Amino acid sequence: MARGDAEFVEFARAASARLVHAAFLMTGDHHQAEDAAQTALVRTYASWSRIHDDDAYGYARRTLVNHLVDGWRRPMREYPTDEVPQQRHGDVADEVATRRWLIAILGALSPRERAIVVLRYYFDLSEAQVARELAVSVGTVKSTSSRALEKLRTAAPQTADQEARR
Amino acid sequence: MSEDRLRHAMRATERPDAVLDLATVLREGRRLRTRRRVAGAGAATLAAGLTAVVVVMAVGARPDDPSTAERPPPVAVATPPTGAAPMVPNSLEPTSPPGTTGDEPTPKPLGQVIDSGVRHGTDQRVYFVVGVSVPGHPRVSVGLAAGRRALDGSLTTDILINDVGGVDRSPGFHQIGYDERSSADPVPTFGYFVGPAQRIIGTVDGRQVDARLARWSVDKQVVIFWFDPTELTPGERLDGIIARDGDGRRL
Repeated sequence: MARGDAEFVEFARAASARLVHAAFLMTGDHHQAEDAAQTALVRTYASWSRIHDDDAYGYARRTLVNHLVDGWRRPMREYPTDEVPQQRHGDVADEVATRRWLIAILGALSPRERAIVVLRYYFDLSEAQVARELAVSVGTVKSTSSRALEKLRTAAPQTADQEARR
Repeated sequence: MSEDRLRHAMRATERPDAVLDLATVLREGRRLRTRRRVAGAGAATLAAGLTAVVVVMAVGARPDDPSTAERPPPVAVATPPTGAAPMVPNSLEPTSPPGTTGDEPTPKPLGQVIDSGVRHGTDQRVYFVVGVSVPGHPRVSVGLAAGRRALDGSLTTDILINDVGGVDRSPGFHQIGYDERSSADPVPTFGYFVGPAQRIIGTVDGRQVDARLARWSVDKQVVIFWFDPTELTPGERLDGIIARDGDGRRL
């Protein structure tokens, strides 16, 4: 294996879980998430020689998010469920419930809103960084983020109500 | 719902064991890189309305095998990017799988055999032009072979590259041969350029690597080049390649 390939494999192993999860948060579908993360890594590898000394993770993240935002026109699958439970480490039932809750409330957002929420709160990027990655203004990020959070606040109680009616 | 709660929920549901098929990632990434390179380097070819595709053949022969001089170069890869069926040079009929013996001799070199200076034991790494025939493309008549020459002068072909469309003598770069086999005697990356090139420079991982050059004895416009394996690992893909004339101008 060439030196560049070995470095890439090491990078890919370290970055895969976060990329797949970010894609899952944006799509609500595990298979689609894995496909999107794989596509992002393929494109990252194809450009590896010019990016691996720079910000490879950032490149992969940008590729992933733009791939999903540009290509995604279908609504998310929704799994109405309870308010997010308090986390107890290792509790699989809680983790499943939390995942369903997340997908339900994120399903209320548009693809671009979801991308902003994932970049801001999962990748912890600043508003300015999110604006650069999505090629929009900081003002757009702020207003969209605010609108998205408001939707989430509205959606969260609804999902709890739906669950309560079951 | 607070932002912190959202942030925590996103992280808490991460699956650390997510595993992607990295072998597929590498394979698809190489294909994408090749398509990009062909799209870029093929501008001159496209301007002339040509289509050039590589046919790579490999021989799984050992240099110490006495039968290698009579072993044909079986097909290892033949994948035109257009989706058309692979076209195989008629003159070689390389249909045996790698590592099997056949009845057809190694193609006869056209012009002088070029000694690269690279050695595999007592064998010389050599490059030579051979005649090929591609159905429907009469202006493709030669390909470039990478092989080994034993002490007794017998030749073994490892990889053959040739256009499978257009004109094999059109100006500019043609196909580049990468050794993707796991061989004890890897073939240094090689190819040919048509034109007055005095320098050929490849780029990989941000560094520049000068190719070794030799002119084909039959047609001096054909510049055969290869990269020293100590400077460019065989099989490692170039990110770019350019040719310059004697005045340093890019061709």
